[in-house]
Amino acid sequence: MAAVEIAAPASARRRLPLQLIGGWEVGLIIFMVILYLIGAYLNPKFFGTTAALSSVLRDAARYGVMAVGMTFVIVNKDLDLSVGSLYGLTAVVFSVAFSPSYFDAGLVPAIGWALAIGLFVGLVNGVLVTILRVPAFIATLTILFIGRGFVLGLSGGKTISFIEKAKGYPDFFIIGENNTWGFNNQVYVFVIFAIVGMFLLAKTRTGYQTFATGGNELAATYAGISTRWVRMRAYLMSAFCATIAGLMQVAQDRGMIAQSGQGLELIVIAAVIVGGASILGGRGRVLGSMLGVLLVVLIGKVLVEGVPTVRITIIDGKEVPVQAMAQLPPGAVPAFLGVILIVAVLIEPWLIRRQVFPRLWARLRGKPLPPVGDATSIAIEGVQTKGSHATDRALNATGLRKILARRDIAAILLAVVLWAVGLYLRPDFWGGLDNSFNLILAFTEVALLSIGLTFVIANGDIDLSVGSVLAMSGAAAGAAMKILGYDPFTAIVIGLLAGSAAGVVNALVTVRFGLPAFVATLGMFYTARGISAWIVSGFPLSGFPEGYNLIGRKLIDVLAYVGVAPEKGTLFFDIASALSVQSIFMGVVAILAGVFLGYTIWGQQVYATGGNRRAADYAGINTDRVRFLSLVFSALCAAAAGVIYIAFYRSFTPTAGQFRELDGIASVIIGGGSIFGGYGTIIGSLAGAAVITLLRALLSLQIITADGSFVLPQHWVNVFIGLILIVAVLIDIWVRQAGIFGQIKSFLTSSRRKPANA
Amino acid sequence: MPENRETPIVEMRHIYKSFGAVRALSDVNLVLYPGEILGLVGDNSAGKSTLMKIMTGAYQRDTGDILISGKPVHFRSPHESRDVGIEMIYQDFALCGNMDVGQNIFLGRWPRRGFFVNRRRMYEEASAVLKRLKVDVNSVFQRVESLSGGRQQSVAIARAISFNPKVVILDEPTANLSVMATERLLETMLELKKQGVAQIIISHRLQDIFAVGDRVMVLKRGENVGDRYVKHSTEQEILGLIVQGTRETALTADQAVAKAA
Repeated sequence: MAAVEIAAPASARRRLPLQLIGGWEVGLIIFMVILYLIGAYLNPKFFGTTAALSSVLRDAARYGVMAVGMTFVIVNKDLDLSVGSLYGLTAVVFSVAFSPSYFDAGLVPAIGWALAIGLFVGLVNGVLVTILRVPAFIATLTILFIGRGFVLGLSGGKTISFIEKAKGYPDFFIIGENNTWGFNNQVYVFVIFAIVGMFLLAKTRTGYQTFATGGNELAATYAGISTRWVRMRAYLMSAFCATIAGLMQVAQDRGMIAQSGQGLELIVIAAVIVGGASILGGRGRVLGSMLGVLLVVLIGKVLVEGVPTVRITIIDGKEVPVQAMAQLPPGAVPAFLGVILIVAVLIEPWLIRRQVFPRLWARLRGKPLPPVGDATSIAIEGVQTKGSHATDRALNATGLRKILARRDIAAILLAVVLWAVGLYLRPDFWGGLDNSFNLILAFTEVALLSIGLTFVIANGDIDLSVGSVLAMSGAAAGAAMKILGYDPFTAIVIGLLAGSAAGVVNALVTVRFGLPAFVATLGMFYTARGISAWIVSGFPLSGFPEGYNLIGRKLIDVLAYVGVAPEKGTLFFDIASALSVQSIFMGVVAILAGVFLGYTIWGQQVYATGGNRRAADYAGINTDRVRFLSLVFSALCAAAAGVIYIAFYRSFTPTAGQFRELDGIASVIIGGGSIFGGYGTIIGSLAGAAVITLLRALLSLQIITADGSFVLPQHWVNVFIGLILIVAVLIDIWVRQAGIFGQIKSFLTSSRRKPANA
Repeated sequence: MPENRETPIVEMRHIYKSFGAVRALSDVNLVLYPGEILGLVGDNSAGKSTLMKIMTGAYQRDTGDILISGKPVHFRSPHESRDVGIEMIYQDFALCGNMDVGQNIFLGRWPRRGFFVNRRRMYEEASAVLKRLKVDVNSVFQRVESLSGGRQQSVAIARAISFNPKVVILDEPTANLSVMATERLLETMLELKKQGVAQIIISHRLQDIFAVGDRVMVLKRGENVGDRYVKHSTEQEILGLIVQGTRETALTADQAVAKAA
């Protein structure tokens, strides 16, 4: 090392600044004490006992272990959405290996498998994000979905339990038990991970490298830090922590359920952000994250353990007070956590950097105000996407080549090929009216979502909340009819309004407050689904008026309803019975959106904004408005899909629209959109939606073989769609943007022409 | 005029570089003597940055030779050129705003004691480097993002100096600085010169080069169009070279002196 060697100055004895703890942590502790006191005041039966404290600690232990790894990832300016899914996957892998009704392996092989799978998932995340340069949120979100598919696939959706066998291995399963001190042994694991993580991040080179990478990756690279390895390492750590947490859970439950770990990534990420880490990277402490975990768990407990209230019910005309627990419905906690995630992300840029509190304090005392901090927008924009930029190879192509150079051609060709494959596999069934009708129906929902997403993605933003907004709008429309008793038309308006409201929130947080779109819409992803579960809890939403259900029916049903059905056997009858209202609606929206995006000034503004926002701003385009409207439009499309969904099924199910964000984003990317913005056409997205629909149909096709027939279960289909999305993004980044084939070609030709000189 | 006929610290000979069909550099020569401050000027796209990136190994030359203290070298990355004492200070400073001054000066090579970062030593050495530069940064504990542009640059320079370099390349060092900060930077450069560090400044501002430089080299469309000793030249003459110079009329600094005499 060539560092200068200089005698220590006399001032060497002065105190160095604190690294492990800061003002933020002190604030968190104070806030938590207040919260606990509120809990104790509202529900002394629960919060007044040590049981409450030990249950908070026990639940926090697993999340805390995961938050240690997540802190490293977030300080690196990355994100790992796959931890909840990996937590479940670990539990499943261990249980399947260990359970006597499956492989009945020993303890060590079972743990070994779980660790191996966990680290493999971390490696996949790391490779995708660092080497293959897929944006972190899209890579890990896909791994989340794929992991969920594997959990369902491996467990068959069933609960696995091995209480008897576990008795033979007390050394491991003691982790999940309470000890003589009265708290759960998992707390020990938590404390060990927290302390190691704290010192590793704050006091060692490893941690410093993480801060440098998150603060300025380019500068860190110039300084000789292998930032790729630093980021990879964090993903491996995060996966390792999630695996350990998953094992802690099996140790406690001596078994697993297929839903375990669902939505856990939200708790962990929210905790880390609440704990003072910045989603913009370069800032965060493990101790803060640990306190964040405790706080989030405590909030959850205060919300769930309920507030004992006295409800007044009217019996026989008399008001009778009834003792009741005003417990929050199941969706409430994720809904709150989604909001907390967004709020916590906003605190740093909008309150701390802008010195809101010092300014307020100074104003109150009549002192001169400290200056407003730096505009943070630039720093925040930097997170958006990391990627290379496109070169247009279609410029000097002609004729057929010009068509083949279109970005959406692959999707169109692929759709045709897939349809032909279906015809080849099941000639008896595929081309028939029934199947075609079902295909078009399935296509309609994906297509509607992808139309909205095309705008958002062309803008360089993303909307992860479409599936949840679909559910929320459906629930809102259903509730409007069944609970509030509105007529169908008002219900439709309410459903659309609910979706638009979600879109406006997305847009405000993204555009006005300058958060990356994936964070804002990730918050909405949980919030909207939580709200929809909240709305429906306790109320079966079905049996809508038939007039409402018509928007989910075939055209012929509508004509019959209004009494103008054509004669059976006429061509018009056939057409009217093959087309459904929603397909026609989708077609109209698609044509309008296609013309708007392709042929109007406003469409060009969308592309300009996505291509280079700063340039578009200089050119006088109101990019804020463009992005705002696109996000609202996307939510509106999702809302329309939700309103149609409940009309088609005649009821609302809480799983409505699940995984649909995956389908929608995949459609747009397959159809030529770029995850880095600036590209995407409606025709392409429709073709992409067709590809996705056909793939789903093909994968769930009953294949007739010599020994019977075979159908791929739905969760494996989701795994497959996840893989397709990753492949599409990789093709976008490496083939379309970086032109890897051209690079390989020129590399080969140049090395042939000029032999390497020593 | 000092007769610097010792071995040049850096010598680049007949450098060619093309990007696809675009020829960025064509038969460019560069000589730098120890302790010398060389100004590298020219229009945009004249090839200044490309030449410097070839020197540090960020780009690979097509043909040509680079000699460091008389020995031919072939850097494959900036890390290799750093090992022989060439440091580049980037226009955007390449610092981590979220970390403090000391951490930035030792970016990527934080001193260690056992498993932990040796913070006492890091901050001590960081303040020593800053003292050596005679720049005032309030505290080594201050976050870099809270510093002004000029102070940030001081940190970038301090970082470069902490490697004990023989050559420092400054890319557009005064582009983002106030007048005061520019003054301070020029003082720092002279201080470095006093300590025997050779420097190359890429700049559009001739007055800065004339304030501290020893020699100016002019590039135009990837070719040498002449170089001059600052003492024997004027800003007017250099501007003339930038605008009208051709390779055919190019003179080296010594030739120009001889011609004038």
